[in-house]
Amino acid sequence: MGVFEGLKILELGSGAAGPVATRYFAEQGARVVRIESAKRPDFLRVLFLTPDSKLGLDGSPMYVLLNPDKESVALDMSRPEGVALAKRLVAWADVVAENFSPGVMAKWGLDADGIFALRPDAVVVSGCLFGQTGPQRSYPGFGGQGSAIAGFNHLTGWPDREAHGPYGTITDSLSPRYVAVALAAALLERRRTGRGRHVDLSQIESGVYSLAELVVRWSANGEGEVRRGNASEREAPHGVYPCRGPDAWIAISVRDDAAWRALVGVLPDWAREAALGSVAGRLAARDALDARMTDWTRPQDALALAERLQAAGVEAGPVQGFDALLADPQLAHRGHFVPIRHAQLGELPFERSGFRLSQSPGGFSRPGPNLGEHNQAVLGGILGLSAEEIEALVARGVVA
Amino acid sequence: MLSGLRVLDLSDESGFLAGKVLGDLGADVVKVEPPGGDLAGRRAPFLHGRADPERSLAWLALNTSKRGITLGVESPPGRALFRRLLATADVVLETGAPGLPRWLESLGIGFEDCAGEHARVVWCAITPFGRSGPRAHWRAGDLVVVAMGGNLKMTGDPDRPPVRCSMPTAWYHAAPEAALGILMALHQRERTGRGQLVDVSLQETQLQTLLSAPGQHALHRRPQQRTGARLGRTREIWPARDGYVSFGLRGGPARVPNLVATVAWMAEEDAAPDWLRAYDWQRFSHLTVGDAEIARLEEAFGAFFAMRTMRELYEQALARRILLAPCNDAREIVEHPQLRSRELFVTLDYPELGAAIEHPDFFARTADRAIRIRRRAPRVGEHNAEVYGELGLGAPELEKLAAEGAV
Repeated sequence: MGVFEGLKILELGSGAAGPVATRYFAEQGARVVRIESAKRPDFLRVLFLTPDSKLGLDGSPMYVLLNPDKESVALDMSRPEGVALAKRLVAWADVVAENFSPGVMAKWGLDADGIFALRPDAVVVSGCLFGQTGPQRSYPGFGGQGSAIAGFNHLTGWPDREAHGPYGTITDSLSPRYVAVALAAALLERRRTGRGRHVDLSQIESGVYSLAELVVRWSANGEGEVRRGNASEREAPHGVYPCRGPDAWIAISVRDDAAWRALVGVLPDWAREAALGSVAGRLAARDALDARMTDWTRPQDALALAERLQAAGVEAGPVQGFDALLADPQLAHRGHFVPIRHAQLGELPFERSGFRLSQSPGGFSRPGPNLGEHNQAVLGGILGLSAEEIEALVARGVVA
Repeated sequence: MLSGLRVLDLSDESGFLAGKVLGDLGADVVKVEPPGGDLAGRRAPFLHGRADPERSLAWLALNTSKRGITLGVESPPGRALFRRLLATADVVLETGAPGLPRWLESLGIGFEDCAGEHARVVWCAITPFGRSGPRAHWRAGDLVVVAMGGNLKMTGDPDRPPVRCSMPTAWYHAAPEAALGILMALHQRERTGRGQLVDVSLQETQLQTLLSAPGQHALHRRPQQRTGARLGRTREIWPARDGYVSFGLRGGPARVPNLVATVAWMAEEDAAPDWLRAYDWQRFSHLTVGDAEIARLEEAFGAFFAMRTMRELYEQALARRILLAPCNDAREIVEHPQLRSRELFVTLDYPELGAAIEHPDFFARTADRAIRIRRRAPRVGEHNAEVYGELGLGAPELEKLAAEGAV
């Protein structure tokens, strides 16, 4: 049985960061209902939608993959009747999670105070780029800006080239985890106190929090870390080296003298040079070391070499692309990818979180929902509306 | 929010932030170091460049809101002491040892060894690949984790090797997942009265950074290529006069108003050619636009951005609702007016070091500041007397344990 069996989460918003946060709870059995709108669909539903696409709003792979085991109810929130239905769902929910720009929820009377009036013990979390307060709170943005402002771009890349963020806009994967942590902590607190609370999370701030070491280094020493390719400040060799085949690479890192001695056991004779026996010697010879490592790795197979280095006690691994991940035996052992069939897209590998609970396995069984797929289940099943009432709402365009 | 919960944090550098998250939420986190201190974790750089484990900036940054004790779990008296501590704990956080994910088991004090006597304890192990499986014993630090987790291959320029972030993002992604797993297990304990094991794989937490790209790839299996400063086909990172800015040259309803606003600004500054002023952004799609057209647009925008500073560009972006952001360095982050107005930074005093240092105080805000730094990171063994005193151990017993290498 999932940890959150019986927990009711109402989700409003769009994109990746909001939905990923509640996915952790869906994975553990919570009932997650998304309020969506056909008039203003979640931009993930239209992200790769070209004019000639036959898939429509229900066939966006990214939306489908990021929203498994959730329900979708379609409400036109520009109509008072739509807002009234949303308010009844708020009263039903234990948790309200939203990631609109600040002010959108308030427009519907659903700011935190409005929610508490309907459901005094709700746990409410608002996640947006800059948070609910401050002079720049209304600045519109996506993860690309979040990664840049929080400092990740400046730290990623080559010293002689552009700053570019880690693939996939890092604040979109970091911030939902902190939303989930805040929700889980507030729910635990509510068990004890009976009280809910409102959490105001800025994607940029949770990124800066992660980079606490950078802030402390600047404040203490006036030194801002820079992007240094794959080099380490403290050790060498520490890099990504070419292997046999197109775009094939191996990552190798030495963390101390003991690790270097393990690597020397595998490397050719040049590595026995006495000067390389110390950290200072290796750092001084970093470029030459990288060149020799490159010559040594280039004709070899990345996985076979990684296996050989690991057997010798050296940190090494093949640089894995998407195909390698989908075939990775360790991820398969953990059941990371869960194959689930989607009506339009066919079978897709859905992804688990990065941890397993020994007594609460959790998992997914349904793909991300079609827009309004659960109108009946939500409006009938939760709010008790009759089939005729729902039909009338559809006819008037309130449920749409 | 977590007051009353006791966490024993035996983690190495890969888990420091995970323990900090729980401490900043109000849990009583006791950082456990080997006698003499965790010298690998108390690493460079040091305050004012003076090598001293008490001056490690990474340590000070990532171990706030923890008390600190020393405990040598490798010695038999140390193990006995660990079991006594365990009786007071709700959570154990550990990270195994390199190549040995079940390090504590090898000492007879792992999860399975202690689950009988201390059934309520939630046990979280953060390891590179998880506690079991064909690669469970592989060694990996940040670089190898991001390599095997899929992010590295897609980051960087197509003509150079894949490249990582120069700060250890592998730990950053794992920390909140570990904290979340622990909180979930604590929820379950409310129902069952029993703890359980939270098995965190650093590699697996990396996959979230791909935001479902492997699953999308499974649909079409097209070859993937790093695109450097581009996102897909169009430029995302642009040179400004004094650095770089992020600006997506992409279409779609959410982005059209910002493209229109950018061109309007360029026109005001007499920097928009006629064809650009008349551009039909409603019909623009980065998915279908031709290469020559992309080149023409990038030249016009690029020339405009390159003549202005990051600050000038950002100020106008804020005023005009343009989706453009500076690629900030540390100073620019700390001076950011929005972050300062939210009081993100707090100054902690280190009197014995003669320093006052700013830290980011929270990962999310609540009206009552329930999430914040509770105390500075501990000195080596700073709270031995306090924490062991809570077990009823006095000075003579502690001296004996010190002589035995246990504390």
